Amino acid sequence: MAKQLQKEIRMKQISFPRYAEYNCCIKYGLEHAFHNVRYIMPPPLTRQTEELGERNSPDYVCTPFKTLLGSEIEALEAGADTVIMTHGACRLGYYGELQEQILHDLGYQCELINLSSYATGKRRDWLRLLKHVDPKLNLPKFIQVARDTLKMVEYVDDVTAEYYKNVGFDATDGEYRKAYRKFLASLNIADSRADIEADYRTVKREFQEIPLDKPDRPLRVGILGELYTVMDAYSNRNLEQKLADMGVEVHRWMTITNQVVHYSNVKNLEPKIKDLCTYSMGPTSTANIWFAKTCAEHHFDGLIHVKSANCTPEIDIMPVLQNISSTYKIPTLYLTYDTQTSDVGLLTRLEAFYDMIATRKKALS
Amino acid sequence: MKKTVLIERKTPVVGIPRALLYYRYAALWETYFRELGIKTVLSPPTSRQILEDGAAMAVDETCLSVKIFYGHVKALIGKCDFIFVPRIATFGLRREMCIRFSALYDQTRNVFRETHQRFLSYNLDANENIDQEKAFLNMGETLALGYSPAELKKAYAAAEKADQRAWREKLRAQEQILKSKGLKILLVGHPYILDDPYLGRPITDFLRSMDVLPLRADIVNRDTAIKRSLDVSPSCKWEVNRELLGGVEMLKKEVDGVILVSAFPCGPDAMTNDLVTRKVKDVPLLNLVMDTQTGSAGTETRLESFVDIIRLKKGVL
Repeated sequence: MAKQLQKEIRMKQISFPRYAEYNCCIKYGLEHAFHNVRYIMPPPLTRQTEELGERNSPDYVCTPFKTLLGSEIEALEAGADTVIMTHGACRLGYYGELQEQILHDLGYQCELINLSSYATGKRRDWLRLLKHVDPKLNLPKFIQVARDTLKMVEYVDDVTAEYYKNVGFDATDGEYRKAYRKFLASLNIADSRADIEADYRTVKREFQEIPLDKPDRPLRVGILGELYTVMDAYSNRNLEQKLADMGVEVHRWMTITNQVVHYSNVKNLEPKIKDLCTYSMGPTSTANIWFAKTCAEHHFDGLIHVKSANCTPEIDIMPVLQNISSTYKIPTLYLTYDTQTSDVGLLTRLEAFYDMIATRKKALS
Repeated sequence: MKKTVLIERKTPVVGIPRALLYYRYAALWETYFRELGIKTVLSPPTSRQILEDGAAMAVDETCLSVKIFYGHVKALIGKCDFIFVPRIATFGLRREMCIRFSALYDQTRNVFRETHQRFLSYNLDANENIDQEKAFLNMGETLALGYSPAELKKAYAAAEKADQRAWREKLRAQEQILKSKGLKILLVGHPYILDDPYLGRPITDFLRSMDVLPLRADIVNRDTAIKRSLDVSPSCKWEVNRELLGGVEMLKKEVDGVILVSAFPCGPDAMTNDLVTRKVKDVPLLNLVMDTQTGSAGTETRLESFVDIIRLKKGVL
């Protein structure tokens, strides 16, 4: 018993801030890949998280910086001693360093593992990071766990995509939503690849069995935008659920599976948008422009562009999206989120947008 | 006997917007086109009108510098065959430009789509193994005027030489100020803000009128600055911001105060300036943010009080 307790004390209490529905995957990956790591789940995002981050962040940094910082502080308060921050091609790549400085200035004695300092393009540096976290690393096991985790991410994205396409047409009393929630909850306690597979099969079967009341040609809206806000339901104030509840089939391409795991595929999208842009305009730009164009070509009823305030790459593609909108005559709603965005304000704008595309569909058909 | 063939080229006129990276590469660009026998026209210096024209074209949330850039592009439309908008992405590992410069060419093309203006660009991207020389050679070929590779290489070599000469000139001027006696204040900001006649020049002029010697954090030995920036910020990846951070490190002992000048909402500056205010503690610091609404009176009051505080501290007021 004492031995067990000592082992527990020596464990690293690592946390990663809240990010859409992916925290269960991060938990699974970290706890199974390293023998000395315990994952501290940060509390769900709330108004308080954002205020905490906002108070301690530079004024006009992008909003996810503030939200993530708030979530990191909450994780540290919940007992974490190490925080991971990811790298990225835009300002995201600089989050880690500045957040570390801010956390230390606030007096937190924590370690911040900044993936930016290891992202040199050499495999050797990633190995150095793994050895730093766990000196007794079992590399084959790590690779196996990494594979399982990526599979888990793929399942989360697959189920989420199916959920938002159909939940608006649920003929029962919220069974669809219940099944989805149950799936996410069960992933939190998954302990093996078999568990993950079983959860996935269960939710897929349940989705199949729940009766849907879907018209032949429902209203279809494509959602695109900045990597964090477009995926994180709290940050975008439940945009997809709100739309679905109005009876819209919601499509979103931007997921971790598509954008990060299969990033090499994004390069292949470039030739398809050559008429709109010659060069790669930014990390998520190619995919977003391609998705907007594809939706327009497939006669979607509307597009919604989601970004956080001051997101450089997304602001940069807005002229291109405006041109797509006018060439293909597809209504596009541009939403900018910051920590002050209110639920009700968003709902009003969405209702107006919905009324417009619904009337337009009726008039055109 | 060798036959000589006279090739007559109908060279186009290239318009260069006097904004953004023009202030960094003026000599390089102008010499390159001159060597190839291409005429260039330059947009007029920034004015209130240019700023307003640009702001009307741009997405609201884009940064002030890009709004001004659009104003310059608009001023050139109808005055040239091509408008020159290079795409400059990366110079190497952790040596990138702000992501906006990767998008600038396509963004401008899309913003001005209705005008049917043609644009000229070169693509500098270390991730695709294109360095500056190769980028210029590629651009020469896209002109399709039958320049031989040797001609293009020669033009580039001359351009680079002129660029270095102009750079040495700037360094020498800064050395002169460093040697002279007086109250010295270090201005930290992108060249396209500090050198802009509408944004940064009034600041420099006003400081001079108060008998202050303005120094520039961007005019230092670039290689040393890039290395020294690692002392302040090891994972900073923006080329110009690394030069600025290194410049602050190199010069902070020599100056009496530091003024951070940025345009709203500059992405990299928002973060690195916050880091500077957190890390550089041993010298008085003023953070100035310029936006479309900036009036000169407000800025002047802030500059005056900043200089007064420094003089008070030194006991010379």
